Amino acid sequence: MNYALKTRQVCLFIIAFLPLSKLFVLPSVLAKIANEDLWLCTVLSLLLDFISLSAVLYACKKADTDFFGLLRANFGKVGEVIVLVLFLIYFTFKAINPLTEQNEYVKLTLYTLMPTLLYFLPFFIVCFYLCTKKLRILGRAADIMWLATIIGVTILFAMSISNADFSAILPIGARGFNAIIKGSYKSLNWFGDSAYLLFFIGNFKYKKRDYIKILCSFLIHAVIVTSFVIIFYSIFTSIAYRQRFALTEISKYTVVINNMGRFDYVGIMLILLSNMFSLSLPLYFSCKILNRLFNFKRVFIAPIIVVSIQVIIMVFLNENIAGFISIIQDYGGFYFLIVGNILPVFSALLKPKEKIYANQAN
Amino acid sequence: MKLTRTIDENITYLKKKLASEDITFLELTVGAKDAVLIFVNDLISKNEVGELVLRPTTLFKGEPSEEELFNAFLSPEKFKRYDHNEIITDVLLCNAVLLTDGFDFAISFGLKYFEKRAIAEPPTSTVLKGPREGFVESLPVNISLIRRKLKTPDLRFENLSVGKFSNTPVTLCYIDGIADNELVKKLRKKLSAIDIDAVLDASYISKFLGEHKTSIFKQVGNTEKPDILAGKILEGRVAILVDGSPIALTVPYLLIEDFQSPSDYYNSSYSATVARAIRFISGIISLFLPALFVAAELFHLQLIPLSFLLTIVNSIKGIPLSPSYEMFLTLLIFEILNEASVRMPRYVGMVVSIVGGLVLGETAVTAGIISAPTLMIVALSGICLYTVPELEQTFSVLRLLFLIIAGSGGGYGLLVSIAMFIIYLISFENYSTPLCAPFSSLIKEDLKDTIYKGFIEEHEFRPKSIKSKNKKRMNIKKDKEIN
Repeated sequence: MNYALKTRQVCLFIIAFLPLSKLFVLPSVLAKIANEDLWLCTVLSLLLDFISLSAVLYACKKADTDFFGLLRANFGKVGEVIVLVLFLIYFTFKAINPLTEQNEYVKLTLYTLMPTLLYFLPFFIVCFYLCTKKLRILGRAADIMWLATIIGVTILFAMSISNADFSAILPIGARGFNAIIKGSYKSLNWFGDSAYLLFFIGNFKYKKRDYIKILCSFLIHAVIVTSFVIIFYSIFTSIAYRQRFALTEISKYTVVINNMGRFDYVGIMLILLSNMFSLSLPLYFSCKILNRLFNFKRVFIAPIIVVSIQVIIMVFLNENIAGFISIIQDYGGFYFLIVGNILPVFSALLKPKEKIYANQAN
Repeated sequence: MKLTRTIDENITYLKKKLASEDITFLELTVGAKDAVLIFVNDLISKNEVGELVLRPTTLFKGEPSEEELFNAFLSPEKFKRYDHNEIITDVLLCNAVLLTDGFDFAISFGLKYFEKRAIAEPPTSTVLKGPREGFVESLPVNISLIRRKLKTPDLRFENLSVGKFSNTPVTLCYIDGIADNELVKKLRKKLSAIDIDAVLDASYISKFLGEHKTSIFKQVGNTEKPDILAGKILEGRVAILVDGSPIALTVPYLLIEDFQSPSDYYNSSYSATVARAIRFISGIISLFLPALFVAAELFHLQLIPLSFLLTIVNSIKGIPLSPSYEMFLTLLIFEILNEASVRMPRYVGMVVSIVGGLVLGETAVTAGIISAPTLMIVALSGICLYTVPELEQTFSVLRLLFLIIAGSGGGYGLLVSIAMFIIYLISFENYSTPLCAPFSSLIKEDLKDTIYKGFIEEHEFRPKSIKSKNKKRMNIKKDKEIN
């Protein structure tokens, strides 16, 4: 059997793309809700992802076909369509928040003199182009982009860590359990990444001990995200919630800037480059679902539909998108929890195709 | 059409087909039989024809038998031909063909001779250390240069002919037992399917071998050095040699090949690694520096350190053009100068370089048309471009493209275009080999011959990026420790 991905690519995919969208607005949102306990909210959300990822890996271990094939074998055609539609809606809404963040980031940080949506719209060309490609290309992208992510994050950490006062996150749990739960609930939109990995089922050869490699990659991702929010809060403490874009703000007090200009932008640019792939993921997997549902003959039809929907949302809700996102976060949390975390857990219960057909034959 | 036993019929037909005045029909006798020797004037070795063909014909008495006739000639390269078309092809390939009355076959002698360029060091890949011989325009000479490097019975040369009017000999070259059979088969099929008037250079063939017809990146590797070609063949690649071209093509091609230099393999691993890193960084600088500078100047001034920013501000004061137009114009002038200096005779080219580089640049800055930093950026980018000469044409086009994007879309626009560029590169495959291998797909074992040039012991196996039947290329025996 010819697999689209290698285990290494799955690991690098997790390291390269999963941490990025959590480094923009999420730290300030969590700081507003949980203050010094923001990292506990992150850890809780990561723990949920860890559980669902473990279940997905279990599904990978016993799967003899891809996710679509497993759904069809276990639930029949109607059941498969229902589950896929749930994921389609999930990915469509999951994409809105990071895309909006990126748009705002581009407007307010990179183009301060002429902030307009027009500078962000070309991103959708990349997104469209990537969506037309096979899973193999996503794996190859991970092979290269993990380096950009790691270098970018290392530069930012190196330039900011000296300004951090880690005692700021003490005492642990000061804001109470409710604040942590609330923060975690509000941040569900940024997490729930194991849903992506469902689409890797059957697309890489699962070998013995692969789960250790993949879970270790997830831990690296978790360490990056948690360290980032801790350093961020340790630098800004009680005014952290006012620093909307943590990515740009985290290194602004470094003395290097006085001598060399915004050297941290080298790291930021590398992260932005990697983030283009990361932002495209929900749309990419939406395309895979659409292709499965409608079996389009031409490779560009699903990407056109998916990208157009997001462009329309961005253009029409340009000024009011913040309100729309807050509605998604307030009322969509449960949906994100169910589809992003709970459904992947149930993937572990899916029976292999061969076994089902053998039972039917008997 | 088959030959008949009557020489007149055959000659009449062949004279009609080979009516050009540079083709000689030399009438002679072989014992009691009439015969005609056909050849292209000045493209055969007349001495050898005299010694090896004409002299034996005078020794016959009476009527020779078929065997006697064929065995009488001492030429080491002789073949029986039974068909008019075969004879025509042989004559046009500069062989001498002897037709004898009463026989239904002709004898073709490989006695071609023409002026050749001497074997010299190719200007495109000069080395300080290492072999200095390079391919020439003669296919037999090129084959002999390869055979001298690889004295193995597994080295295969397969001859084909391409071009309706040129009938250019094209040779596939590979090592049986290393090269992938499927690849050889595919190339053979592709070469046989080429239907073109003439093949005047190997580049004609390379256009047909690429699987993506509109690609900006080249899809077939090339070299002018037999040692490099031998190295590539030993890695499992297949070479294509074209008569009349000093360039040998190699398939499959990896992008990293263009960052490797012949001298890397003859120098120490340390210096080769540093040289490759410099080449790689230079490639990136040449591609992105002008675009990045314009994006920073127009949209992201915060990227530039304050002291440098002040220098820039002072130098652009009074410049009538916007930074992007200024950079575009300067790059355009650079490309014009480059084009002119390549086309002109060498001594005039040097004058153009001096006038263009020094006088024009200096005057333009003094006159306040372009700023000194822009000139410096273009010069640096231009110099960096030539550290990777094989990618010079591709990079100069892409550099202009990135510049236009950065000038209109700023840094984020540039990032978008880089992301597109990356997706394009990683999706690019030729003969089932990813162009960006071994970086993407990441092949850890092959990274030893990329930017990092490993020590000899690290090259125990052939690259995994290229399909080959025999993976191991050396046996490393570890010396026992001497106390």
